[in-house]
Amino acid sequence: MASAGGSSKDQLSLNLNPMLDIFSILITFLLMSFSSDPVSHDVEAGIELPQSNTIIALDEIPTIVVSKTELRVNDRLISTLEAGDVPVKDQSQGAIFPVYEELKKLAEANKRVSKAKSDDPTAKGSTGALTMEMDKTHRFKLMKRVMLSAQQAEFVQFKLMVQKELN
Amino acid sequence: MPFIDIFSMLNTFLLFTAVFLSVGILEVQIPFLSSTPPPEDPKDAREFKVTVDVAKDKIELATSYSMPPTQEQKFEFPNTKEGLDQLHTKVIQIRKDTPDTDKLNLFSEDDVLWESLSAVMDSVMLRTEKDKDIVFPLAKDALEGKEKDPKAREKAENLAKVYVYPKVIMGSVMLK
Repeated sequence: MASAGGSSKDQLSLNLNPMLDIFSILITFLLMSFSSDPVSHDVEAGIELPQSNTIIALDEIPTIVVSKTELRVNDRLISTLEAGDVPVKDQSQGAIFPVYEELKKLAEANKRVSKAKSDDPTAKGSTGALTMEMDKTHRFKLMKRVMLSAQQAEFVQFKLMVQKELN
Repeated sequence: MPFIDIFSMLNTFLLFTAVFLSVGILEVQIPFLSSTPPPEDPKDAREFKVTVDVAKDKIELATSYSMPPTQEQKFEFPNTKEGLDQLHTKVIQIRKDTPDTDKLNLFSEDDVLWESLSAVMDSVMLRTEKDKDIVFPLAKDALEGKEKDPKAREKAENLAKVYVYPKVIMGSVMLK
């Protein structure tokens, strides 16, 4: 007698081949785009980096982050930007005084570490390089202010974060 | 099926660890005033200088020697995609003609956007697919006193493969 559910001999079979095909393609794509960069860093929300052909990968977490509205040093809010620039109260001789103060502390700490690592007891120690993440819509004027502040704190080398163009 | 289980796990892991936005860096230096005398008397050295001046609408490339005859030359390019390509070709030619210097001074006006400035940096610093086979000899100060260190030599040679001008100095960053 026929039942509403059909014959018990009928077996439902799922064709897995298309799913395996999709999985294989997805895995191939993901393995090919797997990043072997030394540092994996998520760009801050609201920051658009300029595109570049550089092949040099980011090797440390950014110290200075300049989003569209904020300036942060080591994740600490230093200044809130007004019309793409720091407020007048924070400006000093073209530089940004609170940024200088924060970087000076960092420079001294870096120097102590590099001096301790050095075999030469007369070594002065080095401040190292600063990594900066800046929104692409900012003008050079703001970048110059940050760099001037860093210069006063004895940082002279910068690693400017960019978005690598996908080839 | 164990096969599908493995695939699912691998997919999940790869999707979680995937970086869809790859971040790189452009390394630059800023001038630093020091009271320490330079190791060699600069009066005796006739150095070749390359300067790039970026404005919103144009880019000026200037070359000269630090001592007479200075042989000053200036080239102007529009600040557009085509202009940047022309600038890159010119910079490659200059670097080939004067391999002794690997340093470039970059100046920018205050109203230039970081996006535009980074495009100029790309154009003067980095090699492209077209010119990856050109071999630039090491500049005379590329090893900075580490001539006998094989690691320093290897590093400098690797830099020369990636960059046209590895040392870019942001000349505009000077205290008022």
